[in-house]
Amino acid sequence: MIRALLLSALFLSAGSASAETMRLAVTTSFENSGLADILLPQIAADTGIDIELIVVGTGQALRLGEAGDVDAVLVHSKAAEEAFITAGNATHRREIMYNDFVIIGPDDDPAGIAQAGDAPEALARIATAQAPFVSRGDDSGTHKAELALWNAAGIPTEGDWYRPVGAGMGAALNTAVGMGAYVLSDRASWLKFGNKDGMSILFEGDPAMFNQYAYLPVNPARYDHIKAGPAARLEDWLVSERAEVLINGYRVADEQLFTFNAER
Amino acid sequence: MVAALPLTLTGATLRRQGKTLIGPVDLTLGRIGVTVVIGPNGSGKTSLLRMMHGLQRTADGRVGWSVADAIARERQAYVFQRPIALRRSVLANLMFPLRLRGASRAQAEAQARAIADRFDLSAMLAQPAPSLSGGEMQRLALARALITEPEILFADEPCAALDGQATRQIEALLAGTAAAGTRLVMATHDMGQARRLASDVIFLLHGRIHETGPAETFFAAPATPEAKAFLNGDIVE
Repeated sequence: MIRALLLSALFLSAGSASAETMRLAVTTSFENSGLADILLPQIAADTGIDIELIVVGTGQALRLGEAGDVDAVLVHSKAAEEAFITAGNATHRREIMYNDFVIIGPDDDPAGIAQAGDAPEALARIATAQAPFVSRGDDSGTHKAELALWNAAGIPTEGDWYRPVGAGMGAALNTAVGMGAYVLSDRASWLKFGNKDGMSILFEGDPAMFNQYAYLPVNPARYDHIKAGPAARLEDWLVSERAEVLINGYRVADEQLFTFNAER
Repeated sequence: MVAALPLTLTGATLRRQGKTLIGPVDLTLGRIGVTVVIGPNGSGKTSLLRMMHGLQRTADGRVGWSVADAIARERQAYVFQRPIALRRSVLANLMFPLRLRGASRAQAEAQARAIADRFDLSAMLAQPAPSLSGGEMQRLALARALITEPEILFADEPCAALDGQATRQIEALLAGTAAAGTRLVMATHDMGQARRLASDVIFLLHGRIHETGPAETFFAAPATPEAKAFLNGDIVE
C-alpha cells in the first residue's frame, strides 16, 4: 500500500547538492488532489527542503509518525490527531487548510437530497428512502467522517441499502456509479474521477462536511533521527502568505478545492 | 390537482452488471385498487417495486407518470420489509416527512398526533423509535409513509417479519388505506395475504410478468401452468 514518491528527484535544482531532505506522510485524498505537485517545488525553491512524500491513509500516516519513519504528517482526522499528541508522538498540531466532502448521487436524485437543508437531513432522506448508499468501509479518514455524519443524523447504518465496499475512493465511486447509488467523496477525488456517467454532486456546503487538514511535526524527543529543524521550517512555510496564495488559487475543473485557514 | 396516476411502464428494464433483474415490463396501473405482486424468490418482486418507485434507474424503457417525475415523487410512498427508524422519538419520526416538505412544526405535530391515533401509536409518541417492537415499528413505518397522503403506496413484504397478530393489524390498516382511495402496490410471498387484499395480481417469473389479471379470476383459474403450480405450492423454476 505504501507508495513512496521521491518527488525531489523530479526537480533537482542547482542548489540540490546542499538541499536538506525530510519525510512527510500525507493522505491519499491530498495526493489525489494534485496540490502536492504545486506546493513541493515552491517549498524546495523557498526553503531548500526536498520533501519525500509518503502517501497513505490518515491512520497509517500517524502510525508512521509514531514509529519515527517520517518527520511530520499532514492529515485530516482531529480526534486521531489529538490522541497522537496525547501519546507524545507530536509536539503540537497546526491547522493549515480545509477541503470538503460532497454527496454524489444519480442525476434523477431518487431520495431528493438536493432539497435537503443540512447534511443530517440529506442522509435521513437517503436512509428513509432506503436508496443505495456506498460506503468506503475501509477505516480511512473519509470513512470516519462519513460515520460521524450518520451518527450525528441519528441514523443506524444497517440494511441492504447500505453497502460498505472496503476500498479506496476511486473504487467506491466506480461501485456507486455502477449501482446508481449515493456516496460521500472528497470534492477533489470526484472532480478528478473520469467515469461520472449519470452522476453528479447533489449535496454540498454544510460546514459539518468540511475536512480540516493539520500539520503535526513528530516529537524529536522520541527519536534522535527526527529532522526537527526542516520540519519547523516547513511549518513556517505552510502558514505563510506564499502558501495561502498557492492553496487558495489551486483549481481543478475551474473549482477551488482547498481553503487556507492557518492562524499566524 | 392533476393525478400522478395512471402509471405506465413501457419496456422498463433494470440491469445490474450486465444481468437483467427485471423486465422488459409493460404495464399500466390505474387510479384505484390493490395490486399484489407475487412470484418465486428471486423473480424480481422487490426490483419491480423499486423500479416503479424510481429508486433504481431503468437501463431501458420508461416508467411514465401522468405528471412530471418530481411531482410524481412527492405523491408516492414506500414501505420496506425492514423499515429504518431515525434515532428520535416516534413523534419526531412521524413529523419528519412533513418537515421535509416544509410544514411548520406545529402543523406537522398536529398531523402526526392525528395519524398516531389511527395507527394505535399514541401511547408511544415520546418513546425512542428504535425501542419499538417489530409490529409497532411497521405501524410507524406505514403511518410515516401515509402522513403525506400519497396517491400511491408501495409496500414490499410489509408483514414478512411480523407475527400473526401484528400481521392482522397491518393488513387491516392497508385495507383501510386502499378503501380510503390510496392506490396500493404490494409484494408478498404470503398467498393468504394476497387473496385477502388483492384486487388484481401480477405473477412474476424470471423478472418478467408471466401472468396478470383480476384477483378473482387469477386465484380461481390461473391461465398458465406455472401460476397454477405456484398457487399449488409447487416449486416453480
